[in-house]
Amino acid sequence: MIETAHVETLYHDEAVSFEKAPDEQLVRLALDGEEDAFTVLVRRYQRRLTAFLSQLVGDVELARELSQEAFIRAWAALERFDPKYRFSTWLFRIGHNLGIDHLRRRRLKTVALYRTDREGDEVELVVEDQTKDPLGHFENAELAGSLKGAIDELRPEYRELVMLRHFACLSYQEIADFKEMPLGTVKNKLFRAHAVLRKALTAFL
Amino acid sequence: MATNCEAIQELLTEYLGETERLSAEERRHVELCPQCCEVAAGENALGLIFAGVLPPADLAMESRVRAAMQTARRRRRLLALLPVAASLFFALLGVVMLGGLPGGSLLALLPVWSSQGWVSLAASAGDWNTVFTTAAGATTALLSPGVLVAAIVVSLLGFAVVAFVARRWRQVSPWHDIG
Repeated sequence: MIETAHVETLYHDEAVSFEKAPDEQLVRLALDGEEDAFTVLVRRYQRRLTAFLSQLVGDVELARELSQEAFIRAWAALERFDPKYRFSTWLFRIGHNLGIDHLRRRRLKTVALYRTDREGDEVELVVEDQTKDPLGHFENAELAGSLKGAIDELRPEYRELVMLRHFACLSYQEIADFKEMPLGTVKNKLFRAHAVLRKALTAFL
Repeated sequence: MATNCEAIQELLTEYLGETERLSAEERRHVELCPQCCEVAAGENALGLIFAGVLPPADLAMESRVRAAMQTARRRRRLLALLPVAASLFFALLGVVMLGGLPGGSLLALLPVWSSQGWVSLAASAGDWNTVFTTAAGATTALLSPGVLVAAIVVSLLGFAVVAFVARRWRQVSPWHDIG
């Protein structure tokens, strides 16, 4: 409590904004009832979490909803958060689990994409794509398409690391923590993934 | 040289082609090695592409999360009051049973039966069976079986509620322990 009071004094008296405070201090302040501190964490991570989840579920609007849910769950479980881990990896794990749960549920609701026509032949149904393109905000649509294609073509283990590195903006160490993988393996796999991406995107480099 | 190239290219991948983050020796290598130089340029361009992948911020998300936080906080406060409410309820129940009911004070009847209990306890302190039998006799004589069963059920439920709530809220975040 004394420490929290000290931190608050520090922020208020020295006019140091919450925005600059490290995650650990913001979590501690949030636990002591300072909702603004948690709001800063929401602001800090919402774009990264949305970008990461939109790659996972392929729909940016849905990714926003899942991100919001992840923040609410993180807030509700904040007391159980173990400070020996980083807040970022914990939050992304919550988001990742939500995304995976959503994909599992969606898979259960799938319908056949083929129907039988009058002649008895199977005809593929044309399903309107209702998802919101995760890279729809790119000015260069061609580049967005190529980037999406290049990422989709990656091996799943590389694709996930690329998502964590460039969409979630996690450091190599954070990725190693998140994936419970040796740091050297993360470096090596990302090195190989980048080589594939560079080759696929040569026209834009 | 090949091993060195791979190590440096791994670093260039990590730094997205920012050669300034390399040591002086590594920078010199990149300047002299066409393959590493190409990787540096490619990584730099890749970094610029990835810089644009973050979607625009959702300004309403912050307020929606805040609203949900306040609802959760209110619910938490309400739950935190449960042990207090349970304690007050049992205290009130005790008062009612021991004399709070008009004309039905159980306390008035107690000495007759309790004295037997004390005598029994004094006579055979080791004979707990006698003590319990007397106590049970006193209780059953004072309370009708229905009331007795109800009291036992209410007590057990009360203990369960108190235990559950205490267990749910006793957790103190490890953050508070950090010095």
